[in-house]
Amino acid sequence: MQLQLVSRPISGQDGQKSTWRISMRRIAPYLGIALILIVWQAVVWLKVYPEFIIPSPLSVAERFIEVVQDGRLWLHTRTTLSQMLVGFAIGVIAGVLMGYCIAKSRLLEDVLSPLLVAMQSTPIVAYAPLLVIWFGSGPTSKIITSALIVFFPLLLNTTVGIRAVPPAQRELLESMSASHWQFFYLLEIPTALPVILGGLKVSATLAVIGAVVGEFVSADSGLGYLVNRARYDYDTPLVMVAIVTLAAIARLMYGSIAFLEHRMLYWRTYADQ
Amino acid sequence: MLRRFFARFLPLLMTLALLTGTAIQAQDVPRSITFFLTFIPNIQFSPVYVAIEKGYFAEAGLDITLEHGDEPDGVNLIAAGERLFGMISGEQVIAARANNRPVRFVYEWFQAYPVGVIVSDDGTTESAADLRGRKIGIPGPFGASYSGLIALLTANGLTEQDIQLESIGFNAPQVFCAGAVDASVVYVNNEPIQIANLAAQGECGEVSGISVLNVADFADMVSNGIITNEDTIANEPELVAAVVQAFHHGLRDVIANPAEAYLLSLDYVESLPRSEALMDALGSAAAVQREMLEGGAEGESAAARASLLADLRTRFDPADLLQLEILARSIALWEAPRLGYSDAESWQVTQDTLIQMGVIDAPIDLSAAYTNDFLPGEAEASS
Repeated sequence: MQLQLVSRPISGQDGQKSTWRISMRRIAPYLGIALILIVWQAVVWLKVYPEFIIPSPLSVAERFIEVVQDGRLWLHTRTTLSQMLVGFAIGVIAGVLMGYCIAKSRLLEDVLSPLLVAMQSTPIVAYAPLLVIWFGSGPTSKIITSALIVFFPLLLNTTVGIRAVPPAQRELLESMSASHWQFFYLLEIPTALPVILGGLKVSATLAVIGAVVGEFVSADSGLGYLVNRARYDYDTPLVMVAIVTLAAIARLMYGSIAFLEHRMLYWRTYADQ
Repeated sequence: MLRRFFARFLPLLMTLALLTGTAIQAQDVPRSITFFLTFIPNIQFSPVYVAIEKGYFAEAGLDITLEHGDEPDGVNLIAAGERLFGMISGEQVIAARANNRPVRFVYEWFQAYPVGVIVSDDGTTESAADLRGRKIGIPGPFGASYSGLIALLTANGLTEQDIQLESIGFNAPQVFCAGAVDASVVYVNNEPIQIANLAAQGECGEVSGISVLNVADFADMVSNGIITNEDTIANEPELVAAVVQAFHHGLRDVIANPAEAYLLSLDYVESLPRSEALMDALGSAAAVQREMLEGGAEGESAAARASLLADLRTRFDPADLLQLEILARSIALWEAPRLGYSDAESWQVTQDTLIQMGVIDAPIDLSAAYTNDFLPGEAEASS
């Protein structure tokens, strides 16, 4: 059914509309950024707040160039990125494995769900200081914070994805005497993958938050630390530079997972077009 | 005729009556002011609580709402005119003014810098110079803790490169007792008491006793006080004077009668121990002190405070008295011959430290950073 839609010939007016739509979709993110910059500059021009509260985009850009040139931005970005990526990897692996086990065992779900729900509903900032006390103020506490925040969406999405396997398809494979491994890679993985990748996209952005929350509690490098330090130095443009960098990292992470999704779930992409 | 008169003029008369009433009411309605405080509700803010509870702000026509947050946020809000008053440390005022925030210090609350470095009493650290090569915990390399540490190191011929600085957040008791650091930067009126209690109970690792290296013993820096913005000083000097005076009275009362201050702070600080026995003991102590004050006696001296605490220590657990001990130590940092007074030398030392830390690049005009103009007069202060 989906293939029929894809194979529909596109020509003439329809083709022009489609091309226009694709072009618009490509430039839409840039339009969004331009709009934000215009509103931001307008707020500065209208003097809604003094410039030390909301600095102009130009002064932030100048500060950005300064900290890029003196190497500070890369130094702090590297710290945050390394902690975030390690935490992300640990959280993803643990979340998927645990999610798969829970999907397969109702008993395990009954045992773990109260704890998982309790931890999931507690804001990470509430236990981040405890992690610093338990694991020290070095990178370990930030990695664990990041892993924890990534873990839950992955766990939930994996559980939901694995359980979403249609019984009819399972029965079909059973009738063909498929092995456990064949069940896993022919049925469960393809069925769960869209949901898992959805969780991965959410987790990718959360990983940034996790690392930065840890850095806010205690750190002497990283973008969270840079925000704190700049606040105490009353350097609002530098605060904005750190925030924009964090947003860019989150966008990059999200984009990477979206690209992965595009490649792995190519049939869905065709269906969308 | 009469009906026509009423139909025409009654709405007008009613509107006039309403407006007049509103105007009279407006004069009676106290002005709402949000007062910015750092940290969280804490016994250390008892002068503010006492000033509110005893009606000193209300007498000045002010209805005070308290708001807690981080210092830079408070400074920015006050500089932008979103808030008018707050309790901020002196070095933040210098850093803020160097970055175009029009704020000014109008009352120096802490007369001694409250930061220090806590070390184990194991004989390895006899003086500040012995900190060389040690791993020292700090909330983070910014703010009053950092400024205080740099001043302490400088006064003892050391630099930051001579020590290992470890950011530990506001977790000094746990991290220090776990042995993760050799020493820790603390607020001398707070964490040392907690750590000493833990050590006394054998719950502080291998630490059995502690010593504190007070920054105030080495450098006279400006600590916390009331700040406002330039607009308020220029346009509403009477408001600034009223706020300063109300706080000044609250501070004076806390120093004179700490037991009463503790009791008046109960509604603001939910973590204060409040067992019936403790309330009775403090109530009696407060009443005795009140009578003495009404009889013309001076406020409690440090010796009298120590005597009160010594008496209470025989009857209560250290945990029950922790907050009262913090209050007593805080009072020791507030007391001065002239409450609220800022001197130029301490501002200069603070600015030199900030330049050394790289927080500011060049000196600012310090005379514009603070003023003593709003302090209650000598006669009033001693009344």
